Amino acid sequence: MQNSSRLALYHYWVAFAVFLPAVVLGAWQMLIRSPLPAPLDDPDAYYASVTLHGTAMAYVVTTFFAMGFGYAVTATSLGRPVRGVAAAWICFVICLIGTLMAVAAVLAGHASVLYTFYPPLLASSWYYGGAFLLIGGSMIWVVLMIYNMTSWKRDNPGRPVPLAMFAITATAILWAWAASGVIVELVGILLPRSLGLTTEIDAGLARTLFSVTLHAIVYFWLMPAYIAFYTLLPQAAGGRLYSDTMGRLTFIMFIIFSVPVGMHHLFADPEHGAGMKFLQSFLTFFVALPTLLTVFSICASLEIAGRARGGRGLLGWIPALPWGEPMVLATGLSLVMLGLGGFGGLINMGYAMNSMIHNTSWVTAHFHMIFGGAVVIMYFAIAYEMWPRITGKPLQSKALARWQLWLWFAGMMIASIPWHITGLMGQPRRVAVFDYSDPFVARMGPLVIISVIGGAILLVSAILLIVILVRSQLGERRLEAPLRYALAVNPPKTVPAALNGFALWNAILLVLMVFAYGYPIGQFFILKSKVPAYEVSGPTNSVGGVDGP
Amino acid sequence: MVALLVVVSTVLGFGVLSRYQQNGPTLDLWNAICRGLGLSADTAPAKEPVPALRTPTRIAWTSNTLDQIAAGDAQRGAFIAMNCVACHGQGGVSTSTLIPTLAGMDPAVIYKQLDDYRSGKRLWGVMGAIGKVVSAQDSADVAAYFAVQSHGLPPLRGYRLPESGRSLREPDPAKRLVYAGDPQRGIPPCSACHGPGGYKLGAPALQGQHADYIERQLVAFAQGIRQNDIFEQMRMIAKQLTPDEMHAVAAFYGARGGAPSAAGVAVR
Repeated sequence: MQNSSRLALYHYWVAFAVFLPAVVLGAWQMLIRSPLPAPLDDPDAYYASVTLHGTAMAYVVTTFFAMGFGYAVTATSLGRPVRGVAAAWICFVICLIGTLMAVAAVLAGHASVLYTFYPPLLASSWYYGGAFLLIGGSMIWVVLMIYNMTSWKRDNPGRPVPLAMFAITATAILWAWAASGVIVELVGILLPRSLGLTTEIDAGLARTLFSVTLHAIVYFWLMPAYIAFYTLLPQAAGGRLYSDTMGRLTFIMFIIFSVPVGMHHLFADPEHGAGMKFLQSFLTFFVALPTLLTVFSICASLEIAGRARGGRGLLGWIPALPWGEPMVLATGLSLVMLGLGGFGGLINMGYAMNSMIHNTSWVTAHFHMIFGGAVVIMYFAIAYEMWPRITGKPLQSKALARWQLWLWFAGMMIASIPWHITGLMGQPRRVAVFDYSDPFVARMGPLVIISVIGGAILLVSAILLIVILVRSQLGERRLEAPLRYALAVNPPKTVPAALNGFALWNAILLVLMVFAYGYPIGQFFILKSKVPAYEVSGPTNSVGGVDGP
Repeated sequence: MVALLVVVSTVLGFGVLSRYQQNGPTLDLWNAICRGLGLSADTAPAKEPVPALRTPTRIAWTSNTLDQIAAGDAQRGAFIAMNCVACHGQGGVSTSTLIPTLAGMDPAVIYKQLDDYRSGKRLWGVMGAIGKVVSAQDSADVAAYFAVQSHGLPPLRGYRLPESGRSLREPDPAKRLVYAGDPQRGIPPCSACHGPGGYKLGAPALQGQHADYIERQLVAFAQGIRQNDIFEQMRMIAKQLTPDEMHAVAAFYGARGGAPSAAGVAVR
């Protein structure tokens, strides 16, 4: 097996090995929140579980998946082995150690602060250290992606970087920008306090820094799915990509629009003025642009494929598409969830409408629909597409894969639609047990039970995923056609320098970041807003380590 | 287009949104911009009769307070503590069920209570007099001494193994109140601040404390005799507890701790 393939495979396996237990936790969390009896109804276990579920899904699964996908794309799209394989393995080990540290701290009960940290809650330094190693370690991957792209450009002067490589480098750059917030928060605020080097925490500053990460990270999760939309789907559907330039523009827009807008996660936070929030609300509208562009070009690409397969009439191309292909099926299901979740997102970003749903179950349901649904289903499809290419062992049964995708879609819809509704009814998020004997809460009971059923279906689907992948891995080796990326209708001969690199866009983003975050972060150097921390890791939240003898 | 939207949203956000307040006077432009940035220019209070300020305690959990407590000298505290043993027992292990055990108590708690006695925020004859003769430094020292004494309150454990029945589904009312509270009455779980598991600054850990003492304090909070809880949370909670619930919760903590006289629960 080629070294870059092994690299990708190991990353995928870590991602999916973490994914399954995290889904189990999620299903249990659904149960304990519901009126149904749950094994282990202990709120503390719930918060530890939410922390583990969130940390696993938001940081571990996604980062490992994106890194593995990045290596696979680099090797296949550039048509040469990944450069810097040794550094890539070091990166893998660092990220794995970080993951184990964080997981150990949560399991030991010293880190129930949820994956968004919520200072002045304070967890064990093992948790923050683990998160830092995982996120900081992945910066090696960022550098490797940029290095691979620039060295290819040097070796092939004047030729456009393949769209897949361009997009994965955009993902890496986006991740670097996104992670800057949480890394500064960890290194500057949380780690020093948890190690006892400082005595107080500036919760407002920490939350503002985290907001830099909090929205862009969503697009980091989303990017592999979008790369599949642009470069894998048209090929799988038997057609061509509608426009290569539009793809490049989309990924550039993701970089410059998704990072400076994270402050809309702070609409209910007191440390920022209303004017600044309102301004950010407007800026946030821009992130809809690349998604709308994508929906247009993907539908156009699918139409090209459908018509090439003999579809006629206004909508006749839709049934003509090869829906039996996991990639095509997953895209269809993903677009449905992206549509529903996207409209929910418009409500979240509206300054006034946000106050209706802020901190309710609506928000949790929204990001499950978008990330757990639209994005993760594409991760599955990517795995089904790439696994045979990497291992040389084809999927045992495409029918089983289709079942798995349909179940995931159905489970996510059944879980998250009632979840949205209970949010509108006023159910708060991040609450372990509800008093269903209270008439206000009781009317949410049936809806929550429906969500539990959805959660169970998701669990079945997740188990099925692992079964499919393991069966493929254990199966016999057969020759597979190498991975082919979709050709554009008009394949680019040359592209302008601005669409073949990122220097200009990084500069523009820097200006935007200073504009968007300069004052909100700067104000904390004037405000005296530090407070003592609340340690969740131990009883001694007051004065240095007095434990009973 | 980006620039246009920025201009429009800036004008709306800073010029209009901040300017016209639903329940307040319309601000001039400068003050509206300041408000939009989070700098409130209109800090003057409304002209209303202001009731006299009554604070339940003089202690605020600032860094200064915490530093003062952390600077407590246990050796010097041992000397001061010789005055306490007559009632609070040798080494702070009380043998009387109505007098709290101090051994192993968080120093911030002891420090705060001593200051409350000193300032008359907590009233209890003899302790008021003692509070007035010990300085802030003495309080910190004696708190540091008692905090490290053994055989009193059990060592605090922030984390405990998950266990079923720590939710609203628990049939035992004491356990339910301790771990899940009663949302319909606005009662948070005792354990969120007093352990086991959760501990908040200034709230004493109750495991192993004398049940009679705990029950008496709950009654005192309920009747408003004791008023030194910073945000009135103990008065709010205790007022809503029935006498049976107070007794059950106190017994839960007293019996659970394994402290010397934890058996002396029943008599009421």
